[in-house]
Amino acid sequence: MNTTHWSGVRLVAGRTITEGLASRSWRIMTALMLLAGLAVVVVPRLVGDDATSYTLARVGDAPDALLSQLQATATAGEFELTVVAVPDVEAARAAVRDGDADAALTDEGPSGRLYVAAQQVGTFPVLVSQAVVSLTLTERLVAAGLSPDEVEAIRATPPPEQVPVGRVADEGRAGVGFAVGIVLYLALILAGTTVASAVATEKSTRISEVLLAVLRPRQLLVGTVLGVGALALGQIAALVVPAMVGVVTSDALDLPAAAATDVLLGVVWFAAGLLLYAFVFAALGALVDKPTDVGSATLPANAVLIGSYLLAVTVTVANPNSWASVAASLFPLSAPLVMPVRWASGLVPGWQLALALVLTVAASVWLARFAAQIYARGLARSGRRVSLREVLPGWTDRS
Amino acid sequence: MVLQAVGLAHSFGERRALAGLDLTIQPGVLTGLLGPNGAGKTTLMRAMLGVIQPDAGHILLDGRPVTFADRQRWGYMPQERGLYPRMPAAEQLAYMARLHGLDRRSAQRRARALLDELGLADRWSERTEKLSGGMQQRLQLGAALVHDPDVIVLDEPFAGLDPVAVAELSVALRERVGAGRTVVFSSHQLDLVQDLCEDIVMIDHGRTVLAGRVDRLRSSTGRRHLRLGVAPGAPRDWLTAFPEVHVVDDQVDALRLDLPAEVDPLAVLDAARAAGPVTDFGLDLPTLSQLFLGALGQDSSDASGAPDGGLDGSAA
Ligand SMILES: Nc1ncnc2c1ncn2[C@@H]1O[C@H](COP(=O)(O)OP(=O)(O)OP(=O)(O)O)[C@@H](O)[C@H]1O
Ligand SMILES: [Mg+2]
Repeated sequence: MNTTHWSGVRLVAGRTITEGLASRSWRIMTALMLLAGLAVVVVPRLVGDDATSYTLARVGDAPDALLSQLQATATAGEFELTVVAVPDVEAARAAVRDGDADAALTDEGPSGRLYVAAQQVGTFPVLVSQAVVSLTLTERLVAAGLSPDEVEAIRATPPPEQVPVGRVADEGRAGVGFAVGIVLYLALILAGTTVASAVATEKSTRISEVLLAVLRPRQLLVGTVLGVGALALGQIAALVVPAMVGVVTSDALDLPAAAATDVLLGVVWFAAGLLLYAFVFAALGALVDKPTDVGSATLPANAVLIGSYLLAVTVTVANPNSWASVAASLFPLSAPLVMPVRWASGLVPGWQLALALVLTVAASVWLARFAAQIYARGLARSGRRVSLREVLPGWTDRS
Repeated sequence: MVLQAVGLAHSFGERRALAGLDLTIQPGVLTGLLGPNGAGKTTLMRAMLGVIQPDAGHILLDGRPVTFADRQRWGYMPQERGLYPRMPAAEQLAYMARLHGLDRRSAQRRARALLDELGLADRWSERTEKLSGGMQQRLQLGAALVHDPDVIVLDEPFAGLDPVAVAELSVALRERVGAGRTVVFSSHQLDLVQDLCEDIVMIDHGRTVLAGRVDRLRSSTGRRHLRLGVAPGAPRDWLTAFPEVHVVDDQVDALRLDLPAEVDPLAVLDAARAAGPVTDFGLDLPTLSQLFLGALGQDSSDASGAPDGGLDGSAA
């Protein structure tokens, strides 16, 4: 297209953005998003993360070898270890019971006792037990006459490699995928509704009549979608950027590195999904006569979004590689919600991600053309609610 | 530029709004578009501006099909006004100017100049929704004129304006016409159109029923109106001698008679004087509203007393 085409689009988008920035609802929403983004970083720190430090209470003398072994495990497992000495078994039990220590090691019996809280969860007691067993084993091997080198060789026996199968490769990352899914869903619904109301308002205030006399419908449509899209991306950025910065610069949130890519990918999917859905929402918005009817007019698009979201958080989270999940993550209408969730399972081949993106973008281009026709016909019929049937391209309403 | 519609047809579902309409609008001549409610005036204008795609027919500019780029140089004021309620007045005009291809600076300059011309200079920074109805209407007119268009199409620009604003708008339109622009507007105020326009196009049921110079149309029928001031309560029985003459208006002390071409006005006047004193008399061409009613297929002489079809200003 020529330069006037894009300058028209730019003017429409610019005006949409100016009005959006000045509107109270946008400011409030963005402030809320920003707060939510900051909360993701700040709240876990306030609540405190007790999982990253353990206290071991000890009665009597533990050999230095045991302590250094535990310390090594702590460094490898990225937790802090504090060892406190308590006078007797009674004090050890009390420390564990009152939560002052996560576990208490005594030298009762032939191989000592490990006191743990009744509802103890986590791996700390197992680690301590392992260290004790490993140390005892070494002592006995030396006692049996093996040289320190032989003992070292035995201890170096590699454990079997762990390969995750089935559900997800990483629970923490899957959680990120889940969060991305919720945010994407809400953001798409919000942006779609905003586009539809913007169109409906322009139509009902008859501004579209003035605009259509100087702009092509497609310029108006694309400009409005780009403007609202930019505003929505701004809101998402307000949510995601502080959260990402917080996650990267601190380790308060114990997330795998891949989670950062998952979130960025979520933003990419938001852009793709917005492109796809915004045109549909705009076309539906052009059918109404009063802005208050936007809700019922956009019901079909909302239903598809809700359906995709439910699919993502039920079927896909439960089994990311079932045929239904694969299909839904490739099908353009559901891909923007299902693929990011599925991707976070860590079990998706790269080519499927690429294919889903290509399909979605291709579908948006096709849908944009289709929507532009509905949009133009919808805008031209003012004064009443227009049915989808009479504006479908290729449909003649004089039959 | 000569603006033409050829064989324009458009239907909304079952309803035919335009049924093969032809018209020509000359530059440098103010053209009034007339027609009863539902005649298709608004639909015609929307089709001319490309807001709707007509089912059939063409819009021609200087004899060739009009293009999108041509329409960048047009100005349109729709019947149902459309402005951004929260945008300041000057910004509204500047935005429209920029959509029509002006750069930022000249858009702002033109917006200010036009607000001056429209008497809204002191309201330039005011939000549109805070202006009165008539002011918003002037602003809407400004949106149609801000880019100094070659072709100006206004749908009922005079509706809702006070007499001062009507006079100002008339001047503004005459100025544009004087500068050689092509200007057409629709109106139901037939007296105003009669005074202001050189040309009219009258449409009904989506077709052109009458078009041409106002003065020629008025004289071409050959009919005239004889106005008689008579003594209060004077008898009217002498009228029976003139069966072709219709009484348009009959008041206690005044009569308005419609005379076909073959009746000699002086003979009627003599008969009236023979019946009683005549205090005043005059001979008029039929008014635009009588032409209007005549063209709609009604006998102008018996419909003039009670104009229907939503006309205002039709009383002669
Ligand atoms: N958006 C629309 N949907 C359906 N029918 C319409 C629409 N717009 C106009 N019509 C019909 O087309 C016909 C012509 O309407 P139009 O608005 O062009 O008349 P008009 O001459 O401008 O009337 P008015 O003097 O009342 O403004 C009418 O019968 C009207 O009902
Ligand atoms: Mg009209």
